[in-house]
Amino acid sequence: MTTVTANKIIGEPVDRIDGTLKVTGAATYPSDVTYPGMAYAVLVGSTIAVGRIRAIDTVDALAAPGVLTVLTHENIPSLPDAPASPFGPPPRFPLRDDRVLHQGQHVAVVVAESPEQARNAARFVRVDYEETVPVLAIDDPAAPIRSNPFGTDAEHGDVIAALASAEVGYEETFRTAPVTNNPLGLFATVACWDDERLVVHESTQWPMQARRTLAGVFSLAETAVRVLVPHLGGAFGAGLRTWPHTILTALAARLLDRPVKLVLTRPQMFTAVGHRPESVQRVRLGATREGRLVAIDHEGTAPVAAEEFTFDRMTTGTPDAYDCPNVAVRDRLVALNIPNPGFMRAPGHAEGSFALESAMDELAFRLGIDPVELRLRNFAGTHPRTGLPWSSNALRECYRLGAERFGWYVRDPVPRSMRDGEWLVGCGMAGVTYQWYVTPCQVRISIGRDGTARVACAGTDIGTGTYTITAQLAAEMLGLDVEQVHVELGDSDLPPAPQSGGSGLATSLAGAVEDGTRRLLDAFLDLVGTDDRSPLRGRTRREVTANAGRLHLVSDPDAGEPYAHMLARHDLDELTVIGEKIPDPQAPGLDMAPSGASAAQFVEVRVHEELGMLRVSRLLSVMDAGTVLNEKTARSQVSGALVMGIGMAMLEETVFDPATGRITNGTFADYLIPTHADIPDVDVVFVGEPDRVNPLGAKGLGEVGLVGLPAAVANAVHHATGKRIRSLPITIEKLF
Amino acid sequence: MNTGRSTGIADVALRINGVAFRGAVDGGITLLDLLRDHLELVGTKKGCDQGACGTCTVLLDGRRVVSCLVLAAQCDGREVTTIEGLAPEGGLHPLQEAFIRHDAFQCGFCTSGQLMSAAALIEEGRAGSDAEIREYMSGNLCRCGAYPNIVAAIRDTARQVV
Repeated sequence: MTTVTANKIIGEPVDRIDGTLKVTGAATYPSDVTYPGMAYAVLVGSTIAVGRIRAIDTVDALAAPGVLTVLTHENIPSLPDAPASPFGPPPRFPLRDDRVLHQGQHVAVVVAESPEQARNAARFVRVDYEETVPVLAIDDPAAPIRSNPFGTDAEHGDVIAALASAEVGYEETFRTAPVTNNPLGLFATVACWDDERLVVHESTQWPMQARRTLAGVFSLAETAVRVLVPHLGGAFGAGLRTWPHTILTALAARLLDRPVKLVLTRPQMFTAVGHRPESVQRVRLGATREGRLVAIDHEGTAPVAAEEFTFDRMTTGTPDAYDCPNVAVRDRLVALNIPNPGFMRAPGHAEGSFALESAMDELAFRLGIDPVELRLRNFAGTHPRTGLPWSSNALRECYRLGAERFGWYVRDPVPRSMRDGEWLVGCGMAGVTYQWYVTPCQVRISIGRDGTARVACAGTDIGTGTYTITAQLAAEMLGLDVEQVHVELGDSDLPPAPQSGGSGLATSLAGAVEDGTRRLLDAFLDLVGTDDRSPLRGRTRREVTANAGRLHLVSDPDAGEPYAHMLARHDLDELTVIGEKIPDPQAPGLDMAPSGASAAQFVEVRVHEELGMLRVSRLLSVMDAGTVLNEKTARSQVSGALVMGIGMAMLEETVFDPATGRITNGTFADYLIPTHADIPDVDVVFVGEPDRVNPLGAKGLGEVGLVGLPAAVANAVHHATGKRIRSLPITIEKLF
Repeated sequence: MNTGRSTGIADVALRINGVAFRGAVDGGITLLDLLRDHLELVGTKKGCDQGACGTCTVLLDGRRVVSCLVLAAQCDGREVTTIEGLAPEGGLHPLQEAFIRHDAFQCGFCTSGQLMSAAALIEEGRAGSDAEIREYMSGNLCRCGAYPNIVAAIRDTARQVV
């Protein structure tokens, strides 16, 4: 009998299957799409923060060369409201009326034969505003406040009593700056109406939601809208909503009966597609002298745009972070005349963790307990509120391995005790827990006469490696090589998938592929169920295994046949199934708490003693993400999130002019994101076991790498300098 | 009525990836927009249109430039190399292979610019150390944060070349 070694593909550091497309410039992003006869749209933005449009004069713009139309609130047809998404109501439609609620609000759309003509003509749209006084500051008493806006405020135990009686108390306020997603890919929409069907090439992380939105607004059946995004130039959460510019582009295309392309400018990427809001957070801790937490009280305040909604909850990670009997969290939204915030990688978690993990560091320092040891003493071995065991949790291993690998205990823990010439050296760390999130997903899987498989799903690959892990999953489960699996993504005509966001797609998709491959194997066994010529006649899935393009008996690898033979004999071109994952964390009998990823972040910084310059010199992230589906792309995702964390920690701040609300640094020349020179080598290590709830034991890891990093930097800065910086970003003037 | 300054029309003749282009271009059009909107060479991407991100980097007579800050009219008589021309038809440049091997990109949007910049960097003799690579690649932003892998890919390729 031949020995069979099953293909081990899942988890392997397979090169991206779309790699060649991306390194040759052949991958098609929405802004690359052209149609014959296409016209070009340019947006005109408000130059005031709040008020009314008294008059809008488009005569000169319309007379400029090549101009086809200028859309304003005065001449567009009335459109129904976009439907709500699972995260709340749709963005306010800016051309609904004559009101302006933030700087940069779209007030007109100029469409011309060429992009140059559209840009030129946009300068001639003259808007006469009636300006009123904007509300711009988070602490402005005139700003309307919404308490408990998400219905998530909660208290377990008695926090007030526990704080009052705690041996050691702690209270501080933290601030994080507004920061902007700024994917390199300018968001683009190309809209083309074909009879009553609307095809949109769109910068979105969620083709199904974009389809729903456009169908709702244009009163179409959802199947009459097709949203395409095979590749997306980043988004980091900005693509989770379908923004008004998308609707305006589709509207222009409809009114002109021509395809229309709109590409946002870099400054518009600051005002039109959301951002991470600023936050003010108060953290109160109560602890014993031995460092056991007895109370955590976390209150987060963040802005929202006037008449808008956003779902960015600063306290989101706090209730599950530690084993503590008394925990209270409260959130508030303050309505301002700013462009609406939105989602940005690890929304709420990233901001909230800065406050909580800085506070833990301060507590450790006050108690004279090592920061790693303090976290180990408060490790939540079971789910803090239900007491259920975690579906997996290797956070303690993250701490232990991280401390060892980083050389944590070798450092002198006394602040300002380590130096390298003129540079003060400091080490900091933070603990990270992340929410569990898996949503329903479908895939279509087929195997054809040539023996190759096709996997298709509406979800997008935003650079995370979705194409590649999908191919790996299907290849291993169907006994094929990765090269034999063709993956189609980013098309709303394909089976519905959730958003590429919330660190949820990989696990959702993995579940759907797992289900689909099982069904496909069943379908082949059904096909030959009564086939006398098949060695697999009458066999069930448990009795067979897939390997090298064929199915064979587990007990006898020689008794089997290739997929292609089965199809050929039955005169079929292919067999196709739909696989589906419907997660149910409340499933009866599930006696455990589904766990998200967790991690320990370690950072070494250098601060120039005379000049206050801050550099990150070492980075280590030890992460429990359960089963890692592709070690190469997973590592890249975590490493990239750490880089974004460095931006949040020490570089990035979207600056709103306090008088006018205008963003004063809305370009890449002024808004600093990390560059090559800012980033040292990055060490990412995966630990842990397969998760017991999630498909294949995988836990989402797209966002978690960013969480905790800003606190680890701040904690390292304290160790280096003795200065405790409680506001982000940690820029030179705070250290000088 | 004033409908904008006339930027005029310029007759230009240049070579793009070894292919001759001759035509009349709007005096105000950038090399980037000429490539993308008129010549269907969309492998070169636009990330800011303000010369600040490096996404649109191409080679002009072998030197790296951000094509959003070069007017097409300035390119008369010159040689432009874009990502589509980095490797011989159907093949991959060693840098392209190294980028795949080291996973030196995620979304891929900045990748064309990173590659063109890296190719010039090696020619310039500025890939001598990681610190040097980091310094001289800092005009090319990557929001996915693939920097460590980009540096590794360039380091690897530079060693092969030398």
